[in-house]
Amino acid sequence: MTKSSKGIEVQGTVVECLRNATFKVELENGHHLLAHISGKIRKNYIKILPYDRVLVEVSPYDLNRGRILFRYRS
Amino acid sequence: MESTSALGVRAEEITRVSERHWHALADDRVVGRAEATRRPDGRTFLSIDVWHDVVFDQLARVVLAELPRPLHTIVDEADAGLTAQWRRAGFTVRRREWEYLVPTDPALTGLGASLPEVTILPAGQADEQLLRALDRSIRDEVGTGWPDMPAEVLPRPAGVTVLDPAKYTVAMRSGQYAGLCRLGPVSRQPRIGLLAVRREHQRRGVARALLAHVLDLLHRKGIGAAWADVTESAAAATALFEGIGARRSSSTLELLLDGQVRP
Repeated sequence: MTKSSKGIEVQGTVVECLRNATFKVELENGHHLLAHISGKIRKNYIKILPYDRVLVEVSPYDLNRGRILFRYRS
Repeated sequence: MESTSALGVRAEEITRVSERHWHALADDRVVGRAEATRRPDGRTFLSIDVWHDVVFDQLARVVLAELPRPLHTIVDEADAGLTAQWRRAGFTVRRREWEYLVPTDPALTGLGASLPEVTILPAGQADEQLLRALDRSIRDEVGTGWPDMPAEVLPRPAGVTVLDPAKYTVAMRSGQYAGLCRLGPVSRQPRIGLLAVRREHQRRGVARALLAHVLDLLHRKGIGAAWADVTESAAAATALFEGIGARRSSSTLELLLDGQVRP
């Protein structure tokens, strides 16, 4: 397959870990969104902390929502 | 491949794109992904990422029909939405892990000098063969309970359980390798990936001595806390960490779909 394409992927910085397993992320353009972590990150016990640089997939249905796909090594 | 109408909103197509990956498509766009991962202990863990509940259900139905049981997944307990999605798919809670933030400052942990009968071999200084033998002995003693130990997720060659000996601090007691502590990457917040003591050396302060050494090392590097995942049923580990001032910061649920019919 596949006739699919990737979603909108952008880099950002985690600015806050919220209580309900979500993170506030500031994108490079200054936009803020709320992001969950991807299942892959969860399965690999990768810890996300404030100031972490991350790759975020932005929801095509709500630009204020996203999913953290990758945490860059600092 | 399947095509359905979801709440009259859009049609979705579920396709297996490789042996362990599935995509949910809508309007030529990936709107959901599922991935099955095999852990070194042989168990299969599933993850599903979607933007809408209905797509989760569609993906789960297709993926679960194609994979053998048992299947596992991991959720943050605070993520009620995701937990509910997996429960709808038939998964039940197998166990809970608490994530502890462990202070490193001896003034907070109360961990003092090591006991005279316990000798600590700092990370990278243990004899590699003896370290591997110690690890094997501990795993033999834990036996079938090993999947309840802290998660091991990195792929490794068959039969190899110690990937990087340099990450292990070892405690010697009575001239024997008695216990070990594996510390994850020492970055801003390192992870105590494994803390284990051979049965005959337990309740002798070996684990405390290992923690005292490892945490003091981090404290001297200016790192204020480490984190550790502890299975809820591990009473001794819970008492140890809480006794040195560690506090729970979150919890993770391991969910299971075993295919057995329950009344």
